[in-house]
Amino acid sequence: MKETSNKLLVIAVLLGLAYHGTSIFFTLETTYDALIHVFFADHYANSWFEPWSHKWYTGFTVMSYPPLVHQSIGLLSMIGGLKFGLFTVALLSIILFITGVYRFSLLITSNRTVAGYASILAVFSSSFIETLHLFGQLPSIVGISVLLHALPEIYLWLKTGKRWYLATSLSLVAVTVTSHHVTPIFGMVFFILPLIGMVIIDVSIEEVKSIREVTFKVFFNNFFKLFKRIVAFGITSLVIIIGCILPYWVNSKNNPITQVPIPHGSRDNFLEVTSSGQMFFLIPWGVLLILLPYIFYRYYSKRYIFFGLSITILTVLGAGGTTPIPRMVLGETAFNILTLDRFTLWATIMSLPLLGEFTYRFIKGDLKTLIQSKFGVIYHRIIVGVFLGLFIFMTIFTMSLGYFRPLQPQTIKMLPIVNFLNQDNHDKWRFLTLGFGDQMAWLSAQTNAMTVDGNYHSARRLPELTTRPIERLENSKFKGVAGIGSLQQFLTTPEKYNLKYIFSNDKFYDPMLYFCGWQRLRQLQNGIMVWERLNIAPVSSILYKDDVAKWQKIIWGILPFLTVLVAFILNIQVLLINALKKGPKDTPEVLKHSNSYAKFSSSILKITQYWSIVLVVIVLYSVYQFYLKNDSQRIPENVILAYYDALDYKEFEKAYSLIDPKSNISIAQYMLENAVTDGLLNSYARLDAIETVITNRSDSSATARVTTDWITPLEKINRIDYKSLSKHNNRWYMLPVGLDTDLPPDQLYSSNNTSFFNQGRRRVTTQQTHHEDVLKQPVLEVLSAKLVKYNNHYAIIGEIQNIDNVPADVVLKGTLYNDDNKSLAVYNAKYHVKHKLLPKESSSFRINFEGIAWSKTQDSIPDAFNPDEFTPVDLDEQPTKFNLQVAGNVSGSDLYKKIAMSELNINGKIINGSLFNSGIQEVTVPQLLITYYDESKTMLWVDHLFIKEGIRQQRKRGFEYQVLKNGNVKIINNGMENVFVNGLPNELISNKIIPNRIENHTNAELQKIEHPVFSYIKIETNSYIGNPN
Amino acid sequence: MQNKYIYISLLALILLSSFMLIQNSEVIQNFTLETSQIEFEAGSPIVLKFSPSGEKAPLLYCSSSYGSTLIVPTYNSKFLMYNIPFSISSKIGVVNWKLIYEDSFISGKFRIGPKKEVSSMETYIGPPSIEAGGTDYTMLVVIPTDSLDNPFPDNTLVLAKHQFLNSEENEVIFTEDLISYKNIYSQKESGRIFVSSESLGTNSKEFSVTVFPAIPIDFKISATRPHGYADGNQVTTFSTSVIVDKHNNIVADATYVTFFITNEKGNILKSSGATINGVATSKMIHPDYETQWSVKAYVDGMAESELIILKYKQVIKSFEVAFSENNRDITVGPLQSFMKQIIPDGIKVTLLIYKYNRLFKTETKTSFEGLVNFNLKSYIYNNDDYTIIVKTAGLEKTFHSKRLW
Repeated sequence: MKETSNKLLVIAVLLGLAYHGTSIFFTLETTYDALIHVFFADHYANSWFEPWSHKWYTGFTVMSYPPLVHQSIGLLSMIGGLKFGLFTVALLSIILFITGVYRFSLLITSNRTVAGYASILAVFSSSFIETLHLFGQLPSIVGISVLLHALPEIYLWLKTGKRWYLATSLSLVAVTVTSHHVTPIFGMVFFILPLIGMVIIDVSIEEVKSIREVTFKVFFNNFFKLFKRIVAFGITSLVIIIGCILPYWVNSKNNPITQVPIPHGSRDNFLEVTSSGQMFFLIPWGVLLILLPYIFYRYYSKRYIFFGLSITILTVLGAGGTTPIPRMVLGETAFNILTLDRFTLWATIMSLPLLGEFTYRFIKGDLKTLIQSKFGVIYHRIIVGVFLGLFIFMTIFTMSLGYFRPLQPQTIKMLPIVNFLNQDNHDKWRFLTLGFGDQMAWLSAQTNAMTVDGNYHSARRLPELTTRPIERLENSKFKGVAGIGSLQQFLTTPEKYNLKYIFSNDKFYDPMLYFCGWQRLRQLQNGIMVWERLNIAPVSSILYKDDVAKWQKIIWGILPFLTVLVAFILNIQVLLINALKKGPKDTPEVLKHSNSYAKFSSSILKITQYWSIVLVVIVLYSVYQFYLKNDSQRIPENVILAYYDALDYKEFEKAYSLIDPKSNISIAQYMLENAVTDGLLNSYARLDAIETVITNRSDSSATARVTTDWITPLEKINRIDYKSLSKHNNRWYMLPVGLDTDLPPDQLYSSNNTSFFNQGRRRVTTQQTHHEDVLKQPVLEVLSAKLVKYNNHYAIIGEIQNIDNVPADVVLKGTLYNDDNKSLAVYNAKYHVKHKLLPKESSSFRINFEGIAWSKTQDSIPDAFNPDEFTPVDLDEQPTKFNLQVAGNVSGSDLYKKIAMSELNINGKIINGSLFNSGIQEVTVPQLLITYYDESKTMLWVDHLFIKEGIRQQRKRGFEYQVLKNGNVKIINNGMENVFVNGLPNELISNKIIPNRIENHTNAELQKIEHPVFSYIKIETNSYIGNPN
Repeated sequence: MQNKYIYISLLALILLSSFMLIQNSEVIQNFTLETSQIEFEAGSPIVLKFSPSGEKAPLLYCSSSYGSTLIVPTYNSKFLMYNIPFSISSKIGVVNWKLIYEDSFISGKFRIGPKKEVSSMETYIGPPSIEAGGTDYTMLVVIPTDSLDNPFPDNTLVLAKHQFLNSEENEVIFTEDLISYKNIYSQKESGRIFVSSESLGTNSKEFSVTVFPAIPIDFKISATRPHGYADGNQVTTFSTSVIVDKHNNIVADATYVTFFITNEKGNILKSSGATINGVATSKMIHPDYETQWSVKAYVDGMAESELIILKYKQVIKSFEVAFSENNRDITVGPLQSFMKQIIPDGIKVTLLIYKYNRLFKTETKTSFEGLVNFNLKSYIYNNDDYTIIVKTAGLEKTFHSKRLW
């Protein structure tokens, strides 16, 4: 008997290593967390005893996460690199998990065969696969596995009182806590407390000889008998939990997590958000769902009653927002910080012994006999087949989920980026990645350069980040776009963070980068576009560091491995001695309370059967609902939804299949029409919400008003379209919309241009740039600047001109002061300026003073965030003065100025017009800068308009602009004495280069409008070219 | 000329050294400085010898502008010898020393001068670009240095040389406070100034400064177009004359010129161009209705052109509107151009639909093969009477009380 069961464990370990050991190479690197652990590991590998890392978030401490797993990877990386360390630790964690489940099952069932079954099933358990292959939570797996190993030792200590067992159990608890802090804390509650209960019951049974005779009185008597051991264990383990990662607790106390909660799918209502339900309920539970009645029946038997309570709580907590209970039990704060999927993981792990037990009884034991006697042999074989089939299906399904629904952008080759950062001192500045997913951690692990972003959100410190419900800036477009607002602040004032380079893997962000004043540098071999910002100082050589005491660093660096060493000596040594000992052995304590698998309760079988039928019905019904929802042509609403979806995901072939076949548009024509439309809406928008109202419907035709909300990197667009539909052969189709038939007059165009190229360093050298290779900063002149207040909104407006002979990149930085010269707010010009000026070109500008959005009112974050939304800075005092610092730098990029205003009509408050693109580049996002003047032609305000569609070469594009509503504009200060250009007083420069300037030269060419406040406007154009030729 | 300076300075050196005395501020009975030289050349070995030699070997405190140090002596039978380290002996300047023994001390100083040959010319010039006209200048700063990077003493002769167009100039300047400098002013022409310098037979490398033209002065503009019709399709090109500054230099390439176009409605259209060889061109699509453009170009705040007038003739004389399908189908056209040819695709036709004398809806389409077709859908336009105005190419036709059904 014993021999067979050990074989099962060996088989389980071999299976596990073969199965997971091969598949991790295809899954682990695309999981959410694995690369983050690699980044931490890299930190330890380079500076083992220094907890401060400058690489992320302008500095953070790695003492914010237990170090054991990271340090292990770090140590192993010295042998074969970081990835070697990662995979080795993953393999170790697989072994630990399988053996852990074996020992836990043995403890619960006291039967080696059943435990063997459980360990084999654990290999294929969907919750384990999800945690390892989808989430990559290595520390969590190591933590729970070691805890499982600790449970038998704790049992033995409590039961026998031998100090040795106290030592072994504590040593394992120590390893648990150094690998994952949450596991032992909740493990105490959900695993160790029920275990204590079980020990007391076991002791009681031994006292009264039969489980029936165990009464409350007996129970309490034994409880008090064991009380000393329980308390001894409780106190010592508490000391261990606190002591082993003391620096972590000190750090948590000093830097409490005071950030806006980041939404997590595990807190959703799984019935409403079915994708979260699938991810955090269906997949981890998997086949165990069928066994729920059996699991609860068994765990609610007298011996396991405390495990019964525990698994019930775990199941409910794991169900997230589906029931209100977790929120009530955990409280609002804990509910919003914890990710609740871990409870489901623990519940499923707790169920594994019973899964093993059930399978054993089902395949070989009494359940088999019962079914065969009741329904026959064939039936038994079929349902065993079905059961195992389902089990394997869940395994394959979970494992392949990452393949069918990629969690990450495609793997990015990091070498070109690493090389770029190493070249030419590029790592002296901070960088930012966009659209990299969790691979940004891998990049950070490979380079010395620092980023303002990071991938461990609990460690964030900048208020710009902690006040937003986003994990990373990098993927801000997915995060309810609250992130885009945050990203914009970083892009507008990058000098604050010494942020000079952006690696963009997602062209979605491109227009925002351009209009915030960034320029494209070049595309790397791996297709990543590098953007840079001029006029950014390098990171200073001395950086802020939140230093901790030396003893903390030493504890942090030494204790984790010490715990492993101690645990290894204490536990493995005993195993070896036992294995080498010959002769008969005593029945171990844990095997004393074996169950009899003689008679399977037929009522449980019945319940399980009924339950299975209920499950089948639920599954079938949801499949049917899914079909109805997805059958796109059954009702008009579905066609419209499917059509917009197809366009949103650029699936033009699918969109074409929804176009009325009778409209006689060939697919080639349809594709062509879509291919030639570019612009903010067509190329850079994500569909956020869609609402369809069928305004008219007959049997064969219908019309719909479609209200769509689009999120673009620049602003939120709301559109109302009227769509016509028709019906043939019971299927609804969209009718195509007409096309602009405008034809340009010529086939071939020529265009002459002055192009600029800045060598950078003429010499190929790593030394500091030679003095003569430094270009003079172009001279700019601020023609006017004033501090104005428009509807409670302070801004510096004015006009700037490049009076030099070379093109200039312009950075404007405004500071507001009160009467006592106290600085109140600093900000840069964002959208309201042409950032690139040709020689003698001028541009109106406006500097908004944006606050860190919602930093004061944390609880009133609007649900629907608008990227264009503006949070005025909260000024305590009245600004009365301002300082304007303008910096020019030579730039040869983005100098396309060939947009002409070809038509203008003013009808009251609406200005209609059209723009003509007279050049040979397609303008992707045209922008208008509208400057308002009063009747004496004094500048009052600057506004902007992004035109949603692009303008192709030699074509026109209409626009409509709504004149600003009446507002109270007040000029607070128009003194020019604190205006500086490249650090020199503006007036000095202006007098030297243009002593006889024609003041207000083009004021004669202002456009008159009818408006109570404003009398004239000026319209300037600016253009973003997405794909320069 | 040069020889004379060397001569004078040598003479001065001899004169000076004859007066040299060892500057002992306090004579101690124990130690005496035996080295008489107090002027050294940078880089040469400097040893201070003291007598008497003995077991007493105090440290020598030695301080120069680069820092201070303590020196351990070596000794033979006669002298205590203090080797001044290279880090101090390689830099010019005064070195103070002090020998302290028990309660008494002896101190003094010596001077290190640069080597005799110039090995490199540390040269800076900036700004690297200036404006033509004679008021803007760039500054050349030259520091002749020896092979140990020591600057030469004041009044070392430096030749500042520069070349511009046909002139080459050499000018003698002297170092003062270790540097020599010269302001090089621009002339009236734009171009490139080449600059170099020379001192004691050593020449610097070549430097160059760009002289950009000054700000532009007023200029003329012209327009060319394929035809004078307002067909909304062809493109008119505006060009400036060659824009120059007041010294007749052609302005820098890519100088930005804005063309403002005021049409008959008083609305201001705008196009812009950047100069190449002084000529800026910009393009504008023709209007699609008869109008007159007044065009004027500006370089903001600096220069402008005179006004030119352009007339665009009406291209579509009249057009047909046909109603069918219960008046719900409206076909406008054929729209014909000036030779009765079908107008190029894309001319805009606007339908204004009034219901009960109020504007109900506006529909706009562009022509295709001379025709524009509107379909007034029954779910938008209920069966009723509507007034329909068709507008195109500045013309309009009104149809009162058209019944749709």
